[in-house]
Amino acid sequence: MSNEVEMLRIDGAQGEGGGQVLRSSLALAGLTGRPVELSRIRAGRQKSGLLRQHLTAVRAAAEVTGATVEGAELRSAWLRFTPGPIRGGTYHLAVGTAGSATLVCQTVLPLLLAADGPSTLVFEGGTHNPAAPPYDFLEAVYFPLLRRMGAQVEARMERAGFYPAGGGRFVLEVAPGRPGPVPPLARAGAPVFEAWAMSAGLAVTVAKRELAVVRDALGISREAATIRRVEAPGRGNVVHIRVTDGDAVELVTAFGAVGRPAEVVAAEAVEEALRFVDLGAPVGEHLADMLVLLVGLYGGAFETGVWSLHASTNLAIVQAFLGADAVQAEERGGRWYVARP
Amino acid sequence: MDRLATVVIGFYGTTLDRGRGAARWERWRPTVALCQHPDRIIDRLELIHPPREAAGAAQVAADIAQISPETTVRLHPLALADPWDFEQVFAALHDFARAYAFDLDAERYLVHITTGTHVAQICWFLLAESRHLPAALIQTSPPRHGDRDVAGQVQIIDLDLSRYDALARRFEAEHAESLAFLKDGVDTRDPAFNRLIAELERVALRSREPILLQGPTGAGKSRLARRIHALKAQRRQVRGELIEVNCATIRGDAAASTLFGHVRGAYTGATHARAGLLRAADGGLLFLDEIGELGLEEQAMLLTAIEQRRFLPVGADAPVESEFQLIAGSNRDLAAAVRAGRFREDLLARIDLWTFHLPGLAERRADIEPNLDVELRRAGERVGRHVTLNREARDRFLAFATSPAAPWPAGFRELNAAILRMATLAPGGRIDVATVDAELARLRRSWRDPEDDGLATLLGPAADDLDPFDRVQLAHVVAVCRRQPSLSAAGRVLFAVSRTRRTAPNDADRLRKYLQRFGLSFDALRPDPPR
Repeated sequence: MSNEVEMLRIDGAQGEGGGQVLRSSLALAGLTGRPVELSRIRAGRQKSGLLRQHLTAVRAAAEVTGATVEGAELRSAWLRFTPGPIRGGTYHLAVGTAGSATLVCQTVLPLLLAADGPSTLVFEGGTHNPAAPPYDFLEAVYFPLLRRMGAQVEARMERAGFYPAGGGRFVLEVAPGRPGPVPPLARAGAPVFEAWAMSAGLAVTVAKRELAVVRDALGISREAATIRRVEAPGRGNVVHIRVTDGDAVELVTAFGAVGRPAEVVAAEAVEEALRFVDLGAPVGEHLADMLVLLVGLYGGAFETGVWSLHASTNLAIVQAFLGADAVQAEERGGRWYVARP
Repeated sequence: MDRLATVVIGFYGTTLDRGRGAARWERWRPTVALCQHPDRIIDRLELIHPPREAAGAAQVAADIAQISPETTVRLHPLALADPWDFEQVFAALHDFARAYAFDLDAERYLVHITTGTHVAQICWFLLAESRHLPAALIQTSPPRHGDRDVAGQVQIIDLDLSRYDALARRFEAEHAESLAFLKDGVDTRDPAFNRLIAELERVALRSREPILLQGPTGAGKSRLARRIHALKAQRRQVRGELIEVNCATIRGDAAASTLFGHVRGAYTGATHARAGLLRAADGGLLFLDEIGELGLEEQAMLLTAIEQRRFLPVGADAPVESEFQLIAGSNRDLAAAVRAGRFREDLLARIDLWTFHLPGLAERRADIEPNLDVELRRAGERVGRHVTLNREARDRFLAFATSPAAPWPAGFRELNAAILRMATLAPGGRIDVATVDAELARLRRSWRDPEDDGLATLLGPAADDLDPFDRVQLAHVVAVCRRQPSLSAAGRVLFAVSRTRRTAPNDADRLRKYLQRFGLSFDALRPDPPR
C-alpha cells in the first residue's frame, strides 16, 4: 500500500507553476499509488495557492482514488495527497464558473482507465472556457487518439457551458483497460478543413458571418462549415476548425465576446488553423502536453512543432514519478521529438 | 483544525440581482457575483427577499447552484411594508438575528451590504457593530471597465476594531496620550493616582454625568477639571466652555443670581438681565469647586438644573435651558455635611455617581520628583529663561520635600509656588544649594504660621467641619497635650480647677474621651508619634 512507498515531493512553482503541476501530479500519484506532497503551489501567481477550481480537481481525484488529503484549503500552498485503489463507478463532478470541467476530465480519465470496473462520469460546469481546452477538442482530437490506442471512451455533450454562466454538462463512459503506446502519427501534406460555429442565445447571423469568413479563407464547402445551435444557460459563441492531415488531427478554437466582431473571431481561428498547417509537425501545442503524459504511461512517440512551457513542465512531473527513462524529449531542427527510449 | 464554513446573509437586490434572459449572465449581479470568485467559497447564502419577489430570488438561487456548486442557498421571505422605514427595518432584522442559530465554532458570518436599501445597510451596520449580529460586513462592487472577470471586487469590513493591529496601536497611543493629557504632562509614579487617572479618563470620555472630585486643597482638582475639559474638547465631545467657580466666593444673596442669572428688575439694583454661569456653561463643562459651600437653596436649584437641563433665573417666569456636564470639587466630607444638615442628600446622591478621591501631595510623595521637572520647565517659561537645578540642589530639595517633615498643607499649589520662587531667585538661571536652603527655610517658617492652629494637618478636611467654638478649645487641648509627658499630666493641667472639687478625679479618662470625639488619641499628638 501507499504507506510503504516513499512520499514524492513536488515543487509546485516549477515550470509553468500553475494548476498543471497540480493536476498532472494528482493523476500520476493515483496511477502509481505513490503519495505526493506539493509545496509552493502556484507560488508566483497573483492569487497564489489553491483556488476553487484546483480544489475541485483535488476532490475529484481523491474521490476516484479514495485518497486521504491534507492541506486542501483555499489559498493553501501545500497539499499532501495519499491515494488508495482506483475505483470505477458513477461520479458526478460539478465545477463552478471559475473552473473548466474539461480540465477535471483530463485529470480523472487516465485514472479510470486503470480502475477495477467501468465508470460513468457526469461533468457539470464550463465546457467552453478560453483558459482550458474546449469540450470539442477532447471530442475531436483527444478521445479519438485514446481510442486508437485501445481505450474504451465514449462521450457526449448534453449542454454547453460558456463563461461566465457555466452550467454545461457532458457524460463520459469509460471501460478500464490499459491502452497501447501512442501510435506513430504522420502528416500527409494534404490538410482537410472542417469548421463549425457554435452559438447559444445569439442571432444566427453571428455564426453565419463567422463561417463566411472561414469558407473564404480556407476554400471549404458549405457542407464542411456548419452552424451548431447548442443549448446553454448563458450566451456564448465559438468557432472551431478541425484540421485533418494524414494521421494528424488538430482542433483550433476562437472565442466570441461582447464587442468583438464575428469576422475578427473567425479570422483568429483561421490564422491558428493555418499556423498548424505551416508547422508541418503532426502534433499541435495543446495535444503535445497531453501526450507527454500518455507516452510516459503507455510508451510510444510523437513529434511536435511547438514545445510549450506546459509540455516541458509535464515532462518534468512525469519523470519525477516514473523515472527519467519513462519519457524523454529532444529538439532536432526546430522540432521536438518525445519518446520512451 | 477544520475550516470555518463561510455564511453570507443578505438581501435579494430587487434591481441589481434581477434577471431572466441569458444576457443576465453578462451583467454584474452582486449576490450571484459574490459566489463567482475563484479565491472565495461561500458555503451558505441566507437570501432575504420580499415575498412578492420569490420568483426572482429563486432564479438567483438556481443561478448560484449552477456557477457555485459549493454553495447552499436558503431563501427567507420577509415582508417589509416600507423598506425605507428605519424602525421597521431595524426591528425586522433584529428579529432575524435573534432567531438565527449562529454557530460561531463552525461558521463565520458575513453580511452582504451591497443589496437592500440604504436603511437596511445602516441597520446591518448597527446590528453588526453592536454584535447582535456576530458578523463582518462584506461589500461587493462591479468589475472595472474592460475587466473580463465578471465577479468584480469584494471587501470585507470587520467592525471589531481590535482585529486591526494598526488601529489597536492607534487606540493605545490615543489612550496613552489622553492619560498624559489628564496628568498635564507629568509622568506620575504613584500607582494609586495613576489608576485613578486611568479610570477618570474612561469616565470623562464616555459619560456626560456629573463627576465629583474630592481631595484636600492643592490636590489639583481645578487643574484636573481644566484637563478634562481640554480632553473632551480635543475629542470633540464638548463645544462649549469650561466655566469655573469656587462656591466659597459666591455665598450670600448674590449666589443664586451669579449661578442662575436674573431678569432685569428681579431685585433692587438689577438694572440689567444677567445670564448666569449655568447658562454660560451650555454645551460645555461647569466646574463648581467647594460645592459644599453652596447654600441649601442654591443646591436645590442646581439639582433641578442638572436633572431637567432647565432652570428658572431669579425673577423669571419661564425656565431657560442649559446642557452642561457638572464637575464638582470638594475638600470636605460631603456625607458628613449631609448628616450635619448642611448639604442636600439628594444632590449628593446625584453627583456621587463618579467620585474620585484625589490624594493630597503629602500622600503622593513619589510624584514630587516628576512634578518638579515639569514645573521647573514651566517656571522657566514664566520667568523667561531656561532654569536648571544642579544635582546637589536637586537631591537636597527632594530629600526634604519627600520627607514627613514637609506636610505640604496646600498641596501642589504650594509645591509649584516654591519651585517658581526658586526659579525666580536662581542666580544665572541655575538653582544652587543656597537657593534651595533659603526656600526650605521659608517653607518651614510658613508652616509654623501663628495663625495656623495645626488642626488642618491633624484632622484633614474634617477640621473645616468644626465650629470656631470647638476649634479654639481643641487647638488649646492639643497644644497642652504636646507639652505634657503623659495623658494624666495633660489632664491635670486642663482640668486643674474642677479636679479640686472631685473626690475621685479622673482627668485622664475625661481627656481621653474628649480627644476620642475628634478621632484623636494622646499618642497621636506627640511631636514624634510612635509608628
